Amino acid sequence: MGEPAIAVTGLRKSFGPKEAVAGIDLEIAAGSLAGLVGPNGAGKTTSLSMMTGLLRPDGGRVLINGMDMWADPPAAKAVIGVVPAEARLFERLSGEELLEYAGRLRGLPAGEVRSRAAQLLGVLDLTEDAKRLVADYSSGMRKKAMLGCALIHNPPVLFLDEPLEGVDPISADVIRRLLTRFVASGSTVLFSSHVMELVERVCDHVSIIDKGRIVATGTTEQIRNGKTLQQAFIDLVGSRANDEEVLSWLGSSSS
Amino acid sequence: MARLLVQLKLRLLGNALRASTGAQVAFVLSTVFAAVVAGGVFYLLAMLRGSGIAAADLTTVIFTMFGLAWLILPLVVFSLDSTLDPATLALYPLRIRPLAVGLLAASATGAWPAATLIGLLGVTIGLARGALGVLVALLAVLLQVLFCITLARFVTTGLAGMLRSRRGKDFAALLIIPIFAAYEGFIQIVPKLASEGALTAASFGGVDRWLRWTPPGLAVHAIWDASAGHPGTAFLRLALLAGIIVVLGLLWIQSLRRALVTTDTSTQSAVRGSALPFARYGLRGTVAARFWLYQRREPFALIYWAITAVIMVVVAFRLVLSPDWFGGLLASGAAGGAFVGAFHNNAIGMSGPGFGLEAMALNGRRALRAYFSGQNIALGMIAVPLVTAVCFGLAVVAKHPMDGFLGMAVGLAGIGAGLALANLFTVASAYPVEKRGGTPIPRAASGHNGEAVGSQLITLLGVGLAVTPVILVAVFTQSAPAAIRLPMLVLGAAAYGLALTWGGVRGAANVAEQKLPELAQIAIQSAL
Repeated sequence: MGEPAIAVTGLRKSFGPKEAVAGIDLEIAAGSLAGLVGPNGAGKTTSLSMMTGLLRPDGGRVLINGMDMWADPPAAKAVIGVVPAEARLFERLSGEELLEYAGRLRGLPAGEVRSRAAQLLGVLDLTEDAKRLVADYSSGMRKKAMLGCALIHNPPVLFLDEPLEGVDPISADVIRRLLTRFVASGSTVLFSSHVMELVERVCDHVSIIDKGRIVATGTTEQIRNGKTLQQAFIDLVGSRANDEEVLSWLGSSSS
Repeated sequence: MARLLVQLKLRLLGNALRASTGAQVAFVLSTVFAAVVAGGVFYLLAMLRGSGIAAADLTTVIFTMFGLAWLILPLVVFSLDSTLDPATLALYPLRIRPLAVGLLAASATGAWPAATLIGLLGVTIGLARGALGVLVALLAVLLQVLFCITLARFVTTGLAGMLRSRRGKDFAALLIIPIFAAYEGFIQIVPKLASEGALTAASFGGVDRWLRWTPPGLAVHAIWDASAGHPGTAFLRLALLAGIIVVLGLLWIQSLRRALVTTDTSTQSAVRGSALPFARYGLRGTVAARFWLYQRREPFALIYWAITAVIMVVVAFRLVLSPDWFGGLLASGAAGGAFVGAFHNNAIGMSGPGFGLEAMALNGRRALRAYFSGQNIALGMIAVPLVTAVCFGLAVVAKHPMDGFLGMAVGLAGIGAGLALANLFTVASAYPVEKRGGTPIPRAASGHNGEAVGSQLITLLGVGLAVTPVILVAVFTQSAPAAIRLPMLVLGAAAYGLALTWGGVRGAANVAEQKLPELAQIAIQSAL
C-alpha cells in the first residue's frame, strides 16, 4: 500500500475547558471516498478545519499527500479543495464570478478558469443562474457553488463538510456521481456527514467520531459488520432517546 | 388580538434591555433621543405662539416632517421590529380585522409614537386659541399620529415582500445615506443660518400654499381655522383628514390580506458582464476585482463612501465660507483619507466567512502582498476621485478653485496613510462583525467593541499625524508660484502616500503570514 493521501496523528483541539478533538488518528488511502460520521458536536467540523489549515491545532500532525499541513501550509493547501459546512462565499459576486475568482486565486490562467467554470456550472446545473448574485442563491445552490470553487483547480484531495445538506435529490445525485467520478480518477475525498444512508451507499471507508475521538475506523463493510451503518453507528455511539415519558401528550390519541 | 400584539411589542422592547451591551446602549440612546425630540418639538411648537400665520406655516412643515419620518424610518428598521413584517404572523390562523387593529395598536406602542404624540401636542399652546381651538388641536394631533402610523403600516406592508428580498434590504440600507446627509446638513446649516438671522419662522411663508391640502397640512389648518373662529371649516378639514386615514387604512388592510398569502419574493436579477474585471492581471488584479465589485454591490460599502464624502463636506463647510477657507480645504482632505482608513481597517473581519476561500489560496508572503495591494488598488480607485472631487467642489464654493489641489494633496497623502494603517489593523487587530437589525452597517461582534473603537481612533489620529508634513509644506510654500508649487505638492503627496501604503502592505503581509488560520477563524465568525 502506498502513502496515504490523508494521514492524521494525535490531532487535538480544546476551546477553553471543552476538549473538542481529543487526539484523533486517521489514515485515508489515495483514491478513497471516505466518510467521517458522528453525532452533532462530535468534533467533525473542528477536525476538518484543522486538517484543511483553517484552524490551528493544539497538537498533532496532518499530512496531505505527504505534505505537513502545519509545517508548510502553502504546499499542503495547494493540493486540497474544501467545501465547508456553512456557506463561505462572497455573496456579492455572481456564481460565474465566484468560480472565476476561486480559480484565479489558485493561480490558474484566466482563459482556463473561464472554461472550467463554465463546465462546472453546467455540470452543477447552475448555468442559468451563473449571472445571479450568490446572495440570491438557495442553500442547495450555494453548496453546489462551493463545490465548484473547491474543484476548479482539480485538487488531488477534497474535503467536504456535510456536502449534501440542503441539496435537492436531483442535485445530490449529480454531486454523488461527480464525486464518484473524481475518486475513480485516483483523487481522494473525505467528507463528513450524519446521513448514514448516503455514507453507506457511496463511501468505501468510514470513520466514526464521537466526543472528539475516533471510535471506529475501517472499510464500510468492516464498520457495518453485517448490520446497517445506521445500526452500527448507534451501537457504537449509543442511543440518546429520552423522550418517551415527557412527551406523553403528543399525538392524535391525546388531547 | 390588540392586547396580545401590544404585549408582544412590549416584550420585544423589554428584551432589548436583556440583549448584548451594544443593543442595550442602542435602545437606551434611542429612548433618550425620543424623549429629547418629544420635549424639543413640544417646546418649538409652543414657542410659536404669537407668530401669526408664520406659526401655521412652520407647524405645517414640522407636521409634514413627522409624516416623512414615519414614511421612511420604518423601512430602515423593518428588520428590527418584527411586528412590521406580516410574514411573522402569516403562519397563524388570524382574522384580518382584529389583526389589523392589533398591528395598529402595536405600532402605537413604544417611545417614538409617544414622542410624536407629545411633541406635536405643542400646538395646543403654540397655535390653538380658545377652548374650541384646543379641542380641535387635540383631535388634529391624534389624527396626525394615526395618519403617521397608518401610512407607515401601509408602506411597510406593501413593500414587505421586497424588503425581505436582498435587493429590498439593499434599498432600505441605502436610505441611511440621505438620512445621514440630511441630519448633518440640519445640524451644520440650520444653526448657522438661524444665528445669522437668515432663518426665521417667516422663512417658511409660502410653503403652506402647497402643503395645506396634504394630511399634515389639513391637521394644522383645522387648528388654525378653529382658533380663528371658523369651526365648520375646521371640522370639515378634520373630516377630510379622517377620510384619508380611513382610505389609507382600507388600502393597508387589502395589502395585508395579500401579504399574508403571498410567498416570499427573491431577487432574480442578473449582473452584467461576463468576466471578473482585471483578473488577467494576476492575483493582485483578481483581488482588486473582488474588492472593486464589492464596493459597488455591497450597501455598507456604498454607505461608507457616502459618509466619507459627507464628513469631508461637514468638517470644511463653515471654514470654506469664511476667510479661513484654506484650513477647511486641508481639513477636508485629511478627513477624507482618515475615514477611508477607519472604514476599511477590519477588511478581513468585514469579508466574513468568504475569507475562508481566500485563506485557502493565499500561499505565502508574496500572495499576501498581492492580496493587500489588490485591495488597496480597488479602494484607491474610488477614494482618489472621491476625495479629489469633494476638495475641488469645496474650493469652488470657497471661490478659490485652484486651491482644490491643496486639499487633493493632503487627501492623497491621507489615503495612503489610511490604507497603510487599514492594512496593518486588518491583520493586527482583526475582529468578527455582525449585522444587526435596524442598521445596515455591520458592527463589531459582542465583546469586540474595544478593538473596533481603538483601531478606528488610532487610524484617525495616525492619518492626522501622517498628513502633517504635507500640511506644513502647503502652509509654508504659499508665496511660491502656483504653477510650480501645486504640481510639486500633489506629486510629492501622491508619492508619499504610495510609499506609506507600500509599507503598510509589506507589514500586513508579514503579520498575516504568521496568523492566517487565526484570521480565517475571525472572518468565519463574522455574521454578515
